[in-house]
Amino acid sequence: MAFFVARRLLYLVPVLIAVSLLTFSIASLLPGDLAYTILGDQATPENVAALRADMGLDQPIWWRYLSWLGNVMQGDFGRSFRTGQTVLQAVSERLPVSIELMLLAQLGALAIGVPLAIVCAARNGSPFDRFMTGSAFGMLSVPTFLSAILLIYLFAVELRWLPATGYVPFGEDPVANLRFMVLPALTLALAEWPGIMRVLRSDMIATLQEDYIALAKAKGLTPARILFVHALKPSSLTLVTITGINIGRLIGGAVIVETVFALPGIGRLLIGAILTRDLIILQGVVLLVGAGFVLMNFIVDLLYAVLDPRIRHGHA
Amino acid sequence: MKAAIRSSALARIFLVAGFGVALSAMPAHAQKPGGSITVGLELDIPGFDPLKVGVYDTAALTASSALFDTLTYLDASGKPQPKLALSWSHSEDFKTWTFKLRPGVKFHDGTPFNAEAYKANFDRQKDPANKCRCAFYIAAVKDVQAPDELTLVFNLNDPSVNFPAITISYANQNGAVHSPAAWKAKGDDYNRNPVGTGPYVLKSWTAGDRIILEKNPDYWDKDKVYFDRITLKPLPDAQSRFASLQSGEADIIWDDEADADSIQRAEKDPKLKVHTYAGSGAVVAAFNTKVAPLDDVRVRQALVMALDRKKMSQALTNGLARPASNPYGDGSWVKCKDDGALPEDVEKAKALIKDYGKPVEFKMLVTATPRGRATGQVLQQLWKRAGANMEIEQVDQATIPPRAFMRQFQVTPWRIVDSADPDTQMYANFKSGSPVALANYSNPELDKLLEHARTTADTAQRIEDYCAISRLINKEAIWYWTFQNTYYAISSTKVKGLPKMYSGVIDVSRAWKE
Repeated sequence: MAFFVARRLLYLVPVLIAVSLLTFSIASLLPGDLAYTILGDQATPENVAALRADMGLDQPIWWRYLSWLGNVMQGDFGRSFRTGQTVLQAVSERLPVSIELMLLAQLGALAIGVPLAIVCAARNGSPFDRFMTGSAFGMLSVPTFLSAILLIYLFAVELRWLPATGYVPFGEDPVANLRFMVLPALTLALAEWPGIMRVLRSDMIATLQEDYIALAKAKGLTPARILFVHALKPSSLTLVTITGINIGRLIGGAVIVETVFALPGIGRLLIGAILTRDLIILQGVVLLVGAGFVLMNFIVDLLYAVLDPRIRHGHA
Repeated sequence: MKAAIRSSALARIFLVAGFGVALSAMPAHAQKPGGSITVGLELDIPGFDPLKVGVYDTAALTASSALFDTLTYLDASGKPQPKLALSWSHSEDFKTWTFKLRPGVKFHDGTPFNAEAYKANFDRQKDPANKCRCAFYIAAVKDVQAPDELTLVFNLNDPSVNFPAITISYANQNGAVHSPAAWKAKGDDYNRNPVGTGPYVLKSWTAGDRIILEKNPDYWDKDKVYFDRITLKPLPDAQSRFASLQSGEADIIWDDEADADSIQRAEKDPKLKVHTYAGSGAVVAAFNTKVAPLDDVRVRQALVMALDRKKMSQALTNGLARPASNPYGDGSWVKCKDDGALPEDVEKAKALIKDYGKPVEFKMLVTATPRGRATGQVLQQLWKRAGANMEIEQVDQATIPPRAFMRQFQVTPWRIVDSADPDTQMYANFKSGSPVALANYSNPELDKLLEHARTTADTAQRIEDYCAISRLINKEAIWYWTFQNTYYAISSTKVKGLPKMYSGVIDVSRAWKE
């Protein structure tokens, strides 16, 4: 197992280098010069030249990349030119919000998707199954910005059950915090559950045709025991992969959801950095998010090994 | 010339005498102290240290007008009134302005506000070593002196007849007065721990979420401050911002013409009130008069005549935007009987282009935003009808100023912002040789009028000068104006006492709820 983990960790190095290279080049190749952005209405040619020299923007791009990477290695991701905040400060302020949102969304999606998948697999081909697979397909096609606004109008403006926008830290008032989180998490969960449901359903259907399930039936085990104990675990490998990949989709969705619901998370930080051309924050945050995503998938790989012993012995 | 010193008592008499009508027109409301207000803003506030943020945006200005005081403020008629300064006088050439300060005012940290503290603010912004973007806006002030505790002297590079109404009259990056002791003690952290003398004190700040301000119990004017607490929330999405107002989580929200839909819905909602401020200035564009075909006045006139501002307003803002025929707007005290606006007449435009005889083809810069693109496309259609071919060049917002300064454009969008006095911007935009005189146009008569307008104290004479300037610019068609500046806020009908939204600032520091 230790060897397996070490080998997987080694794979991370080139991936992270690629992430940093991509992040840096995207930020550098964006149209518009950082010096112009900072100087705004005072961007006379002399001021621009002076500031570019000051910030090292007159150096070749590979040199700028290497010195940025060198600083990053020492934990210095740079500072926002607008607020003077370091990237790490800004991210650590915002991260708890996004993590909570993603966890709640993921839990919500699993809570909707898994039971539905099990029921549909058990009654494969029934009208209920066909109705649910159909509506899952429909839900998959609803963009988050639309469902977000619809949920706000229904639950906040019309029914007044939940707040439309805003945030309270969990530590300050857990109940209020959850009230603010319900709609954003639900918005994301609504986009995620169909994928979970469809994948788990088809895996379950395949598992249910295995010989050992027939054996379990022959032994007279209850259908519930067969489904939850014998069929669920072997069917959930793809589900784990989907959950890992979903983290990436959730980060993307969070950018929209956090903006619509005015949650102070990483997504809002990114949008703000893009709108104000705060490239230092932008490339720092993208790098950290990218690294986080890679690490999450690394953990998913490890989970595989736990779920299926064949993988950790290298047979799969 | 006799210095015109206004004491606060005199100012009050003036206020009562001059604006009795305005006051009595306001329905009498019981202004009961207490309660709180939540304001929905568009953007995250980056901070308040001018050295860090450079320029305050409209969101920061809402907060700063509660946290900070300024030397003067503008009353409902746009005249400067005493705030931290009690009275002021000027030298004969309008290049030296002396302010007498309010005694006994303290910053939130307990340190005294005095002339020395103001000078420290100014010097810090002006110091070239600090490289503050904010220095640009006080470039006209040579230095500030503090001869005694309560006397402040501004020495200006150029004459300014209406100095107390500009820069120091609202809590922008230069006008807000910070506590020198606080920024020295807090260093990098000062940006998000601002300390002023204003009616509200910063209580807490959750990054990206909310700023909570609490009433300053020691405020010098505390009888006119009603709310115990102000909560400022950035709500970046226009639709959910409006939904937050409808559901009661926000009492008042910032809005603009791009969100015409919500504004028009709010106008029909009996529980909501739309606050509108018709500001001065306009949304404008400049022609580069040194480059063909725009070097020919016939072509420029034709392009201006081909504009159909009503149609543009309909297409871009559902008809909300108000057409502009001069650079001053309805919000300005400059009112012209004749501003020399060219007629909107496609036939005349066609004739002028035909007269020019060569094909009219040029490029226009537009911002690469949905609004920018839409504006470009509408103009393209309008000009096509007159026989001119405009090609849209989409650029990043930040690219427009440098391209404009280097004159690398044929037509560029620009803006004349709301201001209590037209001088600063008109002089910068049209005086020969100024870096912002984008049209590359030089005319001794125009220069003479601009010079005269800024050194004349008599308002009637200045209005005449500025109208003559408008006629000249309109005739030469070196710039054109599309829409006037209009600023919007939407609140529940319970919110009262909102002052005019000068420069688009929603100042709730002296508002109350019914």
